[in-house]
Formats: sequence, structure tokens, C-alpha cells
Amino acid sequence: MNKKGIVLICLLALVAAAAICVLAEPAAAGKLEEAIAKTPVGMGTGEINPDAPKGFMGIPGAPQPFWFWGILWGIWVGWIFSIVGAFGGIMAGVGHISVFGLGDYAASFRKTSPVLNKLVTDSIRTSNQYLVGLSALMSSVTYYRMGRLVLPLGIALALGGIAGAYLIPVLTAGKISLKAYVGYFGLIVLVIGCFLFYDTTPKGQEKKKKAKAAAQAFQEAVKKGTSAGEVAAQGVQVKSWGFTRIEFSFYGVEFHFNPVWPVLGGFFIAALSAFIGVGGGFLYVPFLTSVTALPMYVVAGTSALAVFISMITSIFTFMFVKGTPIDFLFIGAELIGIATGSIVGPYTSKYIPDIWLKRLFVILAIYVGLGYTLRGFIDIRLPGI
Amino acid sequence: MQPFIQLADSFLIMFYRLTGVAWADFAIGTFTLAIIALFVGEATVRLVFRFSRKHLDEKISEADKYQNLSMDALRAGNKEAYQAANKLAKEAFGHTFFQQLTLSGAFLWPVFFALAWMQQRFLEVEIPIPGTGWSLGFIGAFIIIYAAAFVFLKVLKRILFLSRTPEPRALCSEKQ
Repeated sequence: MNKKGIVLICLLALVAAAAICVLAEPAAAGKLEEAIAKTPVGMGTGEINPDAPKGFMGIPGAPQPFWFWGILWGIWVGWIFSIVGAFGGIMAGVGHISVFGLGDYAASFRKTSPVLNKLVTDSIRTSNQYLVGLSALMSSVTYYRMGRLVLPLGIALALGGIAGAYLIPVLTAGKISLKAYVGYFGLIVLVIGCFLFYDTTPKGQEKKKKAKAAAQAFQEAVKKGTSAGEVAAQGVQVKSWGFTRIEFSFYGVEFHFNPVWPVLGGFFIAALSAFIGVGGGFLYVPFLTSVTALPMYVVAGTSALAVFISMITSIFTFMFVKGTPIDFLFIGAELIGIATGSIVGPYTSKYIPDIWLKRLFVILAIYVGLGYTLRGFIDIRLPGI
Repeated sequence: MQPFIQLADSFLIMFYRLTGVAWADFAIGTFTLAIIALFVGEATVRLVFRFSRKHLDEKISEADKYQNLSMDALRAGNKEAYQAANKLAKEAFGHTFFQQLTLSGAFLWPVFFALAWMQQRFLEVEIPIPGTGWSLGFIGAFIIIYAAAFVFLKVLKRILFLSRTPEPRALCSEKQ
């Protein structure tokens, strides 16, 4: 086995070992039972009727998100993932909060059973992350095998990421009410909506056109010689490790970065992702390309590794340190839908111009973002939110 | 139990009653469950890939094109062209990243159905880790056995020369 293989296996073994340590304290079942026991018995709002049929997470009388609707919503999410990108994670959250009624259900316990209110909120946050977290594993392993993963950068990001993804669940699980969560979720969606909006403005479009023109001009001017792809096959070669400077070469070009930045970036991105319950994949790449000024060629794989490690940490912390229960069957159904949506997306995107798709999602992002912000912070409900 | 879980229950539980020794039955049953999840996942990902391959290859080629161009520009010392190509590569990569994510979903969905069934059967079960005071819940046990089953199948495929079947390019992300 080559050196890379050994390092990769060691890395995965470390993650597995950490997972085992955390898994050694299964607490989800007890925590849910405890929360149900503390909730007043009855048929009214904010009460639990023990004789009612079991719904979400096995709670008697909870909404029963029929698996078929999970698949349908998954198709919508998968469709967005395949043609727009990051907004799919947001839509997964919208489904859990609004479409399947889990948000209203959690909110009904705000006064009668705050523990259950917060437990269902945490479950929504973790469910969103499940849809993204494990998937990044495959990408990072593949990139590493291709020599396109900068291990020191990945480790620096992961260190910050693990800290952020661990601390946020530990500090906030069981403490964030649905109302507050929805408000912050809305704010993040609004920010994403603003970025999407900027992309569709003449200024944003002009920037893209300029970038295309510059790239094309260079492409035409470039002399035929050894292609980037051929030299890139040599992979990343780490030259030196240090606390303030790490150097590596790629494609015969020397790169360096200060590991403090990826640690800080990893911390904040993972913390934000864990708090809101999203993947964070859409933040790592812009961060790495702009702050550390590294080329996309090596940033792609490294960001996948960072997403994977921070998501796994966050999911495990939510589930096993803080005992957040999960409805596995429903997530499985959603994943079937997401896979189906990824087939549908490319077929339909041929008929809708890219700019119109973006405009559609700008409207959606602003409506959803504004709706959740108003609902969370000043208790005003927009239709459908 | 949900109807689906109920349907699967009578079949899956058979594998947990083969020897009469509790720990061995749990290991055999969970290993079989993991193998089934792996087979179903692999079949699904190949099916999905068959339909989405063309679009995915286009996007991956676009990302590769700009990534290679950015490296060429870097080597040539053309900062403006490097930044432009890097920006376009970033955008194209965004599409491929999320599409790979959906493909991974196609591979992993059976795991969640397996866990949902195990949750009904083994929620209260704790598996002690020998030599430590710790114990594993059903999820931890499944993850470890699933990883072992994954490696086992990979080795088996290599032995049987089945690994020559080309991997879905989307999961490899670029031309090698």
C-alpha cells in the first residue's frame, strides 16, 4: 500500500475512533422519552395524547410526514442541487420546518414543554445536515486519491471545523427554541438571496462576462505545450510545515499559506453550518480561494474533506453527546427523492435559461428569508411560511 | 412500525437467528444488512449515473477546462487570466460538487432504511466494547460493520476481477 493510502486510512481511522468514543454514550432514546414524559397529557395544543398514532420520531400525535411526500420534496431539493447548487440545503430545511409541519409542531410546545420544543428543533437541524454531511466523504476520498487534496490545509480547516462543529451543538443543543432557530435560518437565507441577486444584476453579469473574456483571451494566446492536466497528475507535494507558514508545490508552482486562517475560517464556517443546519460547502470554496488565494484545482477536494469532517462532528455531537433523536426512515426517503431530482434537473435545465433560474431562486430566497426572519423575530407569518 | 419496516422485518430478522449465540447473531445479521445496503446503494447510483452522466460530464469538463487554464495562467505569470479562470472554475465546480452530493445520496439512502429498521429492533441494545467500560449503540455497531463490509466487497471484487467495471466518472470527478 502506498504512503497516501496509509495516511488516508489513518485519517479515517481517527475519525472512526473519535466516533466510537462519542457513540459509546447512546442517549437519544432516553432523552426523547424524558421530554415526552415532561409534556402535559391531553388532546389540546402543546399536549401529547399517548394513545394517538406515532408520528415524527415516534412521538404520539406528531405529524406523520408520509414517506412518499418525503420523496417528492427530495426530488425538488435534488432538482435544485443539480441546477442551482447550494440553495438545495436551504430547501431541505424549508421542507422540514414548513412543508411537513415540524416547525409548527415544535412551536406548539413552546410554553407547555420547552424541552420537547428544543429537541424537535435540534432534530430538524441535524436532519438537514444528514442530507449533506455523509455525501462529502466520497468526494474527499476521490480527490485525495487523485493527489488534489492539500492535506495540511485540510487538517487546518478540519481542526477549526471540528472545534466549531463540536462547540455549537454543545453550547446550543436544547437551548435554541424553534422561534429563534427559524429567525436565524431566515437571516442566512436572506444573505444568500442577496448574493444570488447580485449575480443576476447587470454588474454581476458584467463581471462574469469579463472573466469569461479574459479566460478565453488567455486560452487563445497560450502556446501548445504540456497541459495543466498532465502536470497536475504529479499531485500536491508538501515542502514544509510550520505554525505560521506551510509550503507546497503543485503543477510546478510554489504555494504557501498561513494555517491560522484556515483554522479560523473552518471554525466559523462549521459553527455557522452546525447552528443553521446546513452543509457549508458553498462557503468553504469562496473562503479558500479568496482568503488563502489558492487555485480551485486544489481547493475543491480540500473543501469536500472540510465539509465531511465538520458535518460528521456536528451530527455525532448532536446525536450522541446531546442525545438528539432522528427519523431515519424519513431521511432515507428524502435521499431517494434527491437522487431522482438529480436526474430530472439536467433534463429540465435545458429548457430554462440560467439567468431566469437564478431570478426564480432570488425571489424564492428573499421570500423564504424574509418570511422566516419575520416569523422568528417579530412573530409575523407570511403565507406558506 | 411503518409498513415498509414491517415488511422487511420478517426477512431481515432471519439473519439474526442463525447460531443462537447473541453476539455472533448480531454480527452476522448486521453484516448481511450492510451487504444488502451496499448492493442496493451501488445499483441505485449506477442507475442514476446512467441518466445524468452526459450533463455531469459536461459540467465536469467545464470545471476541468477552467481549472487547467488557471494553472496555465499561473505558470505563465498572467495574474488577470488566472483570477478570471479561477472564478469560472469555482462556479463550474459548484455545480459538480452538488451534483456529486446527490449521487452520494443515491448510494447512501439504503443505510438510512437499515438504521430505521435497526432503531425499531435494537434501540435499547448496548454492545460492550471489550476491554473498555464503554458500549456501542446500534448506530455505532452498524457504521463499523458497514465500513468492514465495504472493504470486504471491494477486496472481493478485486479478487473476482469485477473491479474492472468503470467507476461512475462523476464520483471520480475528472478525467484521469
